[in-house]
This record gives sequence, C-alpha cells and structure tokens, in this order.
Amino acid sequence: MAATLCVKLLPKQGWLPLTQSVRHGSKSVTRHRKPMHILKQKLMAVTRYIPPTRAAPPGAFPSQTKRVEEDHPLMKILKRDLAKVFQDHKMIAAVQNNGSNAEDMLILRNRLYKHGITVKFFPNQVMRSFLKDSVYCNMTPLIIGPTVLFVSKEPKAKEMLTTLRASPQMTLLGACVDDTLLSAQGVLSFSKLPSVTVVQGELVSGLTMLTSATASMLQRHPAHLSALLQQYVKQQSSDSKEEAT
Amino acid sequence: MAASSKATVVLKAVKKIAIQFSPFESNVRSTREFLAMVGSEKARSTNMNCEVVTTVKHDKSEPVVDITYLDGDRLVMKGAKLTSTEMLSAFQSQCTSKDPQAKTAAKK
Repeated sequence: MAATLCVKLLPKQGWLPLTQSVRHGSKSVTRHRKPMHILKQKLMAVTRYIPPTRAAPPGAFPSQTKRVEEDHPLMKILKRDLAKVFQDHKMIAAVQNNGSNAEDMLILRNRLYKHGITVKFFPNQVMRSFLKDSVYCNMTPLIIGPTVLFVSKEPKAKEMLTTLRASPQMTLLGACVDDTLLSAQGVLSFSKLPSVTVVQGELVSGLTMLTSATASMLQRHPAHLSALLQQYVKQQSSDSKEEAT
Repeated sequence: MAASSKATVVLKAVKKIAIQFSPFESNVRSTREFLAMVGSEKARSTNMNCEVVTTVKHDKSEPVVDITYLDGDRLVMKGAKLTSTEMLSAFQSQCTSKDPQAKTAAKK
C-alpha cells in the first residue's frame, strides 16, 4: 500500500504529515544479486585496491630479524615443572603410546607407582622449547606424537620394562638415566647390569686377589714359607744355568 | 583432498603390521604418525586379531612398515621419504582392494 501522490496536509506546525510517501519496487535486500548502480560501479572502479609492487617475491630473501615470541605464563609454569622433574628424577624415559584407553592407563600407572615410577604428560611444544635450552637437547627427536614420560628417582629399568611388556601399545623410545642418554637397547642392557654394590664387590675382590694370596702365604707356618723360598731359589738358579748353557 | 574418505582405518583384511624405526633419526616422523593412526583404539577395534608389532632400533636404518594381509600378500613401505597421509592412502587403497566384498555389502 503506497501513496504515490504526496499530498501534504499539515494541519498544524510540528505534526507528522498525514500521508507518507513510500518508494516501492526498489528493495535493497533482494534474493538475487542486484545489478550495481552505475554510480556505485564507478566508485568501486575508482577506489579499487592495487597492492604495492614488490621488488622480490616474499620468499626470495630470508627475513633479517626472526620474530621470537615470548612464552605465555602457562608455558612458563610447565617449563618450571619440567625443570624440577629433570632435577629431581634420575631416570626419565620417553614412551610412545598409541591408543591405550583409560583403564589400561590406570592399571599401568598403578603398577608403576608400586615401583616408584610416575607417569607425566607434557605438551610437545613445551618439551621441545625446554629441551633445546637445556643440556638434554639430544632428546628432542624422541618427542614426536603422543609421548608420555616415565620418571623415577631411582633408575629401575627392569621393573619398568616388565610393566611395559604387559601393555602392547606402549613403545619405549629412549631414556635419560643419570644425565646419560640411552636408546631402547641401552635401557635393556642397563637393566641386565648387576647392582652397584655387586659390581663394587667384584672390583674390590679382583684388586685384592694378589695381596690376599701373599697375606695367606705369610700367615702359614714359617717352615713352609722357607721351604717354598728355597725351592724358588733352586728354580731360579737352574733357569739361569740353562740360559748360560 | 579425497585421500581417505573415512578418518578411521579399517584393518579387516590385515593379519599383522610390523613397524620398525630408529627414533633418534630425523626421518621417522611420518612413520610414527602412521603408527599412531594405525595403533589407535578405533583402528584396533575393527579387527582384534590383527597384531601391531613395534620394534625400536638404534642402527640408523630406514623406518619400514611391513603389513601382512590375510591372503598372504605383503605391503612394505619405506617411510623415510613418505608422508603419513601418503602411507595411509596407499595402505587403505590396498585394504579396500583386498576386501571389497565386505565393504560393498556393508555399503548396500
């Protein structure tokens, strides 16, 4: 309903007109794509964006300054936790788990906790940026994909290996034991080593073998010792005679 | 990119998957991603009899994925220069060709 004739009848000043003219037949919001008005076309053509001409394509020369973004606070907190983990724990193993569900994880964590091994999750980005700053930068290629950290204060490799053998999805990639990077086979051979006390005992016994033999010989009857010495002198003289002839 | 229409991996025609790699090399990323995709819960639930065996070595050898199918065929993929999507698409195309009857029956 449109009134094309504008009959203005203003009864009194300040009142709204009785009839209001409404344009019809030219909507602004249409269902089809409305052809642009010629004036608008001209305006768009005049104000078209022309990008500045670059002398070289963007990737030709490497940028001089590298943008180093600051870590956001959560990352700083996680890095601090990670530093503490590396300081406190002697053994840190990186394990890839592809598809273990919650109950498997729970059972695994329970078994490992009995041996004093904790399971830690850290985001890969945080791990990588921490590792490249610290001494342990060679662990960086291990941290790809879904990786879990097994950390423990005492290097208990044998128990960890037996627990991991139970779950087929976990793959041991490598470990850092006492600031030494070990591969999977390294961890295996490390677990087969006897304990430190046993090795020390073996070393001590090997060193004192000679002195203990001398001590036992001296402790026996002196006649036995003199007889031995006489025999030895005879042998020496006979050897020297043989050499002379 | 219509490499794999379904996100999950269907292992119905596969008997065994053996993956070996050396994690300290720099070219193992795609192999590890392939392992993560194949060893996930969904993929394994499609075929519980299929074993996924992972060997971690330290001899600077190339990462190799060896797949044995139920009819005895073997697919060997050397993942040193491949991306994980390429490996996955090749693997899935082989799987679908091996096991078309079950797929078409399921689709119908």
